[in-house]
Amino acid sequence: METVVQLVLNALHATSLYALVALGLTLILGVLDIADFAQGALYMVGAYVAYYATSGLGLSFFLALPLAMAVGSLLAMTNYVAVYRPLRRFSGATTFIAALGLLLILQNLALLFFGADFRLVRAPFAGVRFGVLGATWTGYQVFIASSVAVLLLLTWLFLKLTPIGKRLRAVSQNRKGALVVGLDPFRVELVAFALAGALAGAAGTLASGVNAFDPSIAAIVVITAFAIVLFAGMGRVPGAILGALHVGLAETLTGGLVNTQYAELTAFVLMIVVLLFRPRGLFGAQEAKL
Amino acid sequence: MRWSLVWLVLGAAAAIAAPHVFDSLTARHLLVLIAINVILVSSLDLLIGGAGLLSLGHAGFMGVGAYASALLVKAGWAFPLGIVAALVAAAVAGLVVGVPALRLKGHYFSVVTFIVGIIITILMTNMVDLTRGPMGLTGIPFARLELFGWEHTFRTIIEKVGYYYLTLVFVALALLLRWRLGRSRFGRALAAIKGDENLAESVGIATYRTKVTAFVIAAAVAGVAGALYAHYAVFLSPDSFTFVDSFDLFVMNLLGGAGTVLGPVVGPTFLVVVSSLLRNLSPALSHVVYGVILIVVIVVLPSGIVGGVRNVAARLQGGAGRGRAGDAEAGSGSGQRAG
Repeated sequence: METVVQLVLNALHATSLYALVALGLTLILGVLDIADFAQGALYMVGAYVAYYATSGLGLSFFLALPLAMAVGSLLAMTNYVAVYRPLRRFSGATTFIAALGLLLILQNLALLFFGADFRLVRAPFAGVRFGVLGATWTGYQVFIASSVAVLLLLTWLFLKLTPIGKRLRAVSQNRKGALVVGLDPFRVELVAFALAGALAGAAGTLASGVNAFDPSIAAIVVITAFAIVLFAGMGRVPGAILGALHVGLAETLTGGLVNTQYAELTAFVLMIVVLLFRPRGLFGAQEAKL
Repeated sequence: MRWSLVWLVLGAAAAIAAPHVFDSLTARHLLVLIAINVILVSSLDLLIGGAGLLSLGHAGFMGVGAYASALLVKAGWAFPLGIVAALVAAAVAGLVVGVPALRLKGHYFSVVTFIVGIIITILMTNMVDLTRGPMGLTGIPFARLELFGWEHTFRTIIEKVGYYYLTLVFVALALLLRWRLGRSRFGRALAAIKGDENLAESVGIATYRTKVTAFVIAAAVAGVAGALYAHYAVFLSPDSFTFVDSFDLFVMNLLGGAGTVLGPVVGPTFLVVVSSLLRNLSPALSHVVYGVILIVVIVVLPSGIVGGVRNVAARLQGGAGRGRAGDAEAGSGSGQRAG
């Protein structure tokens, strides 16, 4: 019983990090129909920003978090302006290939500049421990889960309440209609990338304190996050979060109760099973809606 | 027609003469790699150039064939039977993957094949009892052929020319298969699916079954290439069949020109040479360059080197008719609107 509680607690922070990346992917898929695998590289860059900001510049971890979000955001916008926008006359498949190209470029540039050594950032609140039903939750895990909750809430408020958020939803629900009433797609798309980049950067920074990372984390994270998006179904924000919850739990429970080697397969197996019986995904609507 | 025959003879002569012109061990090693990659890319081109199916897990099927043949020949099977086993194993894997994946359209199909490629690598890494996992499979027998009393063992570590010619036979078969399929009823059905899947369905083409068939054929050929690789390198590890390798094959196909006859030859030749030069400098750098080449090709040269050259030639001749036919056949970039 205690191990199960412990595993669920562990799953909670793993899940919350996937949720951020999956949400960013969903936003971009909704607005532009691009499977932006380069988001994984932004996650990785977020982790390295945290590493160099804290151990190189001696900044506090709490400063590194907004810094990583800003860097992720900037990089995502650069990708959009430099690569995706010129490619917009092509299909989703072509831009997907370009996204993989970007992932490969950024991951290997990181290998050239940051090296292949595993890094781990000194996390705040590491000494704080809470007992929950006989299991322990570290202060940092609580910090991750609550930061993610705050970020998800802010994103949701942004999409629901701000004018640009409403435009973003409009473009994602009905692109043609949104263009007809005179929305500027460029600004909306740029905002979607900026938002997704910030979320990925934040996820990378938050993860850097619990999981050792090297440049290859970029591909691993985005592949799992995309499996979550496919598993949950495109386009819905709650879907991305619920999907992350399912996959995170299943992954951690497989790892803890069955075999750690096969834990990394869980997300993919879930995805394929769902696709076989429900190609729109578990929570997928007929059309993408945010 | 007569010109293409001349080109064919010249190309075959060049391929046969190549190991004697470039006679260093390194150059001959690259020639074998190019030949194996030509088989892989020509099979991938059946999907990408033929049907507009952007499959991104092709190295996985190569890996299935490689391990199947390596393990069986190691267990005492004859080399030709190993090749057949590789073909069958990869075809089965292609069927298992293709049936669910081809229910999805456009880039969702690409993403799923991409993820399946990764699953195959994870399985190879984790099934340690069978594949010896990340330690790699050693002691794979050299290819050994017996024909009417003549027998030969291809000791590829010191002698590469013989194995190169053996591979060349399979290259010829793969290119012939790709060419014949492209001109068959089946190939025209694929082309119709590439153009407009709903329209193809409405004129009575069983689109799903046609796509699954193409996927299985492509996987089977990739499996044969994997077997050829296994008995050439005589060492296998999951690292040789990762999603990066699938991606490399994809870049080779797009760069050469998807849907063109020469594309599957030009792309691998160019990229194997370039990446081996770059890898001497730094492996990470070679992947950066791969990525850049890919994006530049998509933007500037959507029909690849062969398509680009053909367009330029057509424009110089002013022969609009030929040029346009070339465009229609070569236009993988424009054909990708299908998704």
